[in-house]
Amino acid sequence: MSASATQTALYVYGVVALRDVPSLEQDPAVEIVQEDALAAITRVVSLDEYGEDTLRENLNDREWLEENARAHEDVLLAVAAVADVVPFRFGTICRTADDVRALLAEQRDALTAGLERIRGCVELGVKLWADRDRVEAALAPQEPAAESGRAYLEARRNEQRRAADIQAMCNEVARGAYDRLLRLAVAGVVNRPQPRELTGRTEDMLLNAAFLVTAGDRSIAEEVERLDRELRDLGFSVEVTGPWPAHNFVAAEGEAE
Amino acid sequence: MTALAQDDITLLELVDRVLNKGVVLAGDITLSVADVDLVYVGLRVLLASAGTLDRLANEGAAA
Repeated sequence: MSASATQTALYVYGVVALRDVPSLEQDPAVEIVQEDALAAITRVVSLDEYGEDTLRENLNDREWLEENARAHEDVLLAVAAVADVVPFRFGTICRTADDVRALLAEQRDALTAGLERIRGCVELGVKLWADRDRVEAALAPQEPAAESGRAYLEARRNEQRRAADIQAMCNEVARGAYDRLLRLAVAGVVNRPQPRELTGRTEDMLLNAAFLVTAGDRSIAEEVERLDRELRDLGFSVEVTGPWPAHNFVAAEGEAE
Repeated sequence: MTALAQDDITLLELVDRVLNKGVVLAGDITLSVADVDLVYVGLRVLLASAGTLDRLANEGAAA
């Protein structure tokens, strides 16, 4: 045991209320570290894998990243199925259980407030996409080809106006969709849309939102379906993902998010 | 452009949440998480697999 103490550490997945611990189905690899009314969901990991330098390297290994990001989420999902859980960011490592307890003590108020905020809730992700060509086609018919210099200038001006109109319409649709969904949610956040380089899709992501909703509440999903139907002919589509643990709604106090 | 497969989109969703959100506890008590710009690293890996690593590196530098 003493030899391993220098080489292992505790990976912290998240925090639950101590009273919820009995309902957790215990994954034998997972250890509960408790302090006062809070309990951390942890696992012993090797510093060969999660030490600062090796973690940095491992994060650049796509297979490692995928496997471990999924493992992180799987543990949180299993916990979230039976208890409210405040998810920690991937790769939160403490050297010892005492350090985890110190962390829980130090952050008690923020973690307790986080648990309170997400109680009985799950997170849903909503994305709104625009197929610009179809949006343009839906907005205004294509101008006939210009034949004279003056007509050319006129066409250019129209084109610029149309581009501005399309942008305005996209903004309006995104704002309107977010507002409609927010009314059905406990809370909502708007994240930066992911660039095409990452999504690999031909459509532009106009809205990348997350909503906190009561677990089992279908109203957001149904509204997304409605929005998708309403907007489809205009070149937009709306998608929902989840339920996720409430990653987007647990930022500690003082964080910009 | 190399489109990401459906699995990759899910992975993007996952990485965006797991590496980008959640409680961050930086300080003396925690070892790793404080020090690594996880989002950038994680997204860079995804991009590399889509064959557009250089572009992100440029955008990352400009951001």
